Amino acid sequence: MTGLNRRGFLKLALGTTAASLSVAAVTGCGGSGGGAEGGGGGKTTLRYAWWGNTIRQQNYTKALQQFSSANGDIAIEPEFAEYSAFQERMTTQIAARDVPDIFWIASPQVLTYHKSKLYRKLDDVPTLNWGDYSKEDLETFKLGGELNTMPFAIFVPVIRYNETVAKADGVTLPAVGAGWNWNALSELLISYSKDNPGKRKGTPYAPDHDLTFEAWLRQRGEQLWTEDGQVGFTADGLGSWLDWWEKLRKAGAALSLSEQEGMGPDWAQVGKRVLLNFGNSNHIIDDAKMFPQDKFRLRPMPVDAGAVEGHKYLYFPRMAMYQRIDDSKVEAAGKVLDYNVNNPDMLKTVRLTMGAPTNPKVAEQAVAFASADEKEMLALVAGERTAQRKPRYEAPPGSSTWRTTMARVCEEIALGRTSVPDGSKKLVEEISAGIKRAQ
Amino acid sequence: MLTDQERPVEQPPVEAPATKRPAFHLNRQGRAAHVFLIPWQLGFLLITAVPLFASLYLAFTDYDILNPPEWSGLENFRRMVDDDQFWASVKVTLVYVVVSVPLQLGFALLLALILDRGLSGLAFYRSAFYLPSLLGTSVAIAILWREIFGDAGLINKGLALIGIDGESWLQNPKTALATLIVLNVWTFGSPMVIFLAGLRQIPDELYEAAKVDGAGVWRQFAHVTVPLLTPIIFFNLILQTIGAFQTFTQAHIISGGTGGPANSTLFYTLYVYQQGFVAFDMGYASALAWVLMAVIGVVTALHFLASKYWVFYGDN
Repeated sequence: MTGLNRRGFLKLALGTTAASLSVAAVTGCGGSGGGAEGGGGGKTTLRYAWWGNTIRQQNYTKALQQFSSANGDIAIEPEFAEYSAFQERMTTQIAARDVPDIFWIASPQVLTYHKSKLYRKLDDVPTLNWGDYSKEDLETFKLGGELNTMPFAIFVPVIRYNETVAKADGVTLPAVGAGWNWNALSELLISYSKDNPGKRKGTPYAPDHDLTFEAWLRQRGEQLWTEDGQVGFTADGLGSWLDWWEKLRKAGAALSLSEQEGMGPDWAQVGKRVLLNFGNSNHIIDDAKMFPQDKFRLRPMPVDAGAVEGHKYLYFPRMAMYQRIDDSKVEAAGKVLDYNVNNPDMLKTVRLTMGAPTNPKVAEQAVAFASADEKEMLALVAGERTAQRKPRYEAPPGSSTWRTTMARVCEEIALGRTSVPDGSKKLVEEISAGIKRAQ
Repeated sequence: MLTDQERPVEQPPVEAPATKRPAFHLNRQGRAAHVFLIPWQLGFLLITAVPLFASLYLAFTDYDILNPPEWSGLENFRRMVDDDQFWASVKVTLVYVVVSVPLQLGFALLLALILDRGLSGLAFYRSAFYLPSLLGTSVAIAILWREIFGDAGLINKGLALIGIDGESWLQNPKTALATLIVLNVWTFGSPMVIFLAGLRQIPDELYEAAKVDGAGVWRQFAHVTVPLLTPIIFFNLILQTIGAFQTFTQAHIISGGTGGPANSTLFYTLYVYQQGFVAFDMGYASALAWVLMAVIGVVTALHFLASKYWVFYGDN
C-alpha cells in the first residue's frame, strides 16, 4: 500500500491540474511584454528581434550582451529567426499584440506595418541622437512625414565579379563610365560564356533580383513603386528588363534553371560556376567568404547613355520601436537604437553584413576596422551616396508577394511557358490586384 | 454438473424503488475519468476547436492579420473561381492523390505479402521498411531528395555513367511532381505494417481449403487474401488519401516554398500557407482551408459509400 487511496489520488490529480493551470495562466499574464520591469533588480527588459544566418545571430547576440554589460539597467531578450521565419513570427506576434519592443522590418512589410500603426515615432526619444544626419538624410528616412523608423544600414544594387577568375581567364570589365553600359555587359557575358577554360557561365539567371531590377527601371524613368502606393512600372518597362535577360539566357550566358536548381540560386552552389553575380552591395561580405581563395570586387550598375538624372538610389534596411511599447521603456529602447546606428563599437562585433552604416561619421570610422571586402562595399556605397538621387518609395501594403510572383513569371518565361510581353502584363496585373485588395 | 433443464429458473429481479437520477449522472469512475480527461479536453478546446471555428468565421472576412477582420460574405469563395493559382494547386493536389495513394498502397501490400511469408529477420525488415514513414515528411528527407534528384544529384550521376546528360528532375515541371510522388510511395512503411497485421489475421484454414480445392497462389490471393483484407485496405485508403490531400512539408522544402517550377509542385496546402503567411491574406487562406476540409469530407464520404460494394467484414 502506498497510503494513497482513490479519493486521495483524485484530489491530488485535481489539485495538480488546477495548480498547473494557475501557473500557466499566471505565466501567460506575466509574459515578458507585459510589464516595464521584465527582469529582476529594477532592470528594464527589452525584446529585440532580427533575422539572418547563424553567424549574424551569434554576432548580434554577442553585441547585445556587450550592450547590457555596459548598461547594467537594461537587459535584452534576443528574438532571432531566419528571414522568412522572422516574417511569419512577426505576423503572429502582431496578431497576438505581442510584438518585440525593437524589431527589424523586412522590406516588403515597411508600409504594411506603417499602415497598421506598428511604429512609435522616434524624434522625441531623448536617448536617440539624430545630430550626425543631414537634413536631406532625415527626409529620406521619413515614412508618412514622420521619423518613425530607424534606417540602420545602406546597400545598393551592384555587379559583383570574381576578379581572380577574371584575371585568370583574361577578362577585363569595361571601366566605369560610358563604356560600362548594359549592352557592353551582355556582350561580355555572352562572349565569356562561349569560351572560357573553366566552362563557367557569365552569371546566374537572376531577373527576379529586386534591387537590380529597380536600378534598370529608374534608369528608364520608371520606378518600382509610386508615392501613392501603386505599381510604378509598366509592362513595357518590365518587358525590356526581361528581354535583356532572355538574350543572355538564350545565348547560354546565364545558368539554366536546372544548373542553378531554380530561381534564387544558392551562391555556395553556383559561385564556382559563374564570372559575376547581380546582387546587393552588402552580400559581398558573406558570399566572398564561401570562396576564400578568390578575390571579389564590386561595380555599380551599368548605365546607358540615355539614363535619366537621379536614377541612383540607396536602400535602407530599417528597424523600429513598437508603437505600444511601455513609456517607461522608451528611453532604454532609444539607447539600444542609438547603439545600433550611432556607435561603431557594435559594428566591430556584428561587422557590416547588413550594409554600410547610415550614420556618415560611423561610416568613416568603420573604414579603420573594416575587412577588405567591407572596405570594397563601403567605398562603393560612399560613391553612390554622393550621387544625385530622386526619391524612392517603399513597397505598399498588398505587395508583399511581388518578388515571389516575379520569380514565378521569370521561371515560366525561362521554361517557355509564357512570352515576355504576356508574362510582363500578367505580373503587373497580379501585383496591382494585390495592392487593390489591401486598400 | 447441472443440465440446462435442472438449473433453477431465475426469478425476475425485484425492482428497487425508483430514484430520480440527474440526466448526466456519473458514478465515481465516470467522474474520475472526466478529471483525467480535463487536460485533453482543454487542449482540444483551446488548440483545436476554438481556432477551427475562428477560421470558419474568418473565411467570410477580409482579414490581413494586422487589422481587425471585416465581414465580406462569400467574396473569398467567389474569388477562388477566378484564381489561376488556386486551380493550379487543385490540379497538382488531385494528381498527387490519385497517383500516389494507389501506388503507395500497392507497394505496401506487396512488401507486406513478401514479409508475411515467414522471412527470417522479419523484425529487422519491418523496422527498416517502416523507417521512411517516420522520416518521409521531415525536412532532412526533403533535402536529401534534392541531393538525389538535383542537377548534380545521384540519379544524374548514374545517368552520366551511361552517357546521358540529365537535367534537374526537380526543376523540370514534367518531372518535379513525379519525384514527390516517389517520395510518398517510399514512405510505405506505415500502411505496410497495418497490412502485415491484417494478413496475420487471415486464418490458415482458408488457404488450406483453397489449396484442397485446387487454387493456385494467384487465386488464393485474389479470392482469399484480398477479400479478407478489404477492411484493412479501406482503412489505409482513407488514412493515406487524407494525408495526401494535406501534403505540405516536402513541397515546401523542395520548391523553397514557391510551388515551382511553374506551379508544378504548388500543393493546395502550400497555397493556403502562401496566402496566409506570405500574402497575409488570412481570410482567403481560411476559406481555402475550409474548402479543403469539405473536399476531404466529401471524398471520405464517397469512400464509405463505395465501401458497401467492395469491403467485406467478417460478419457479412
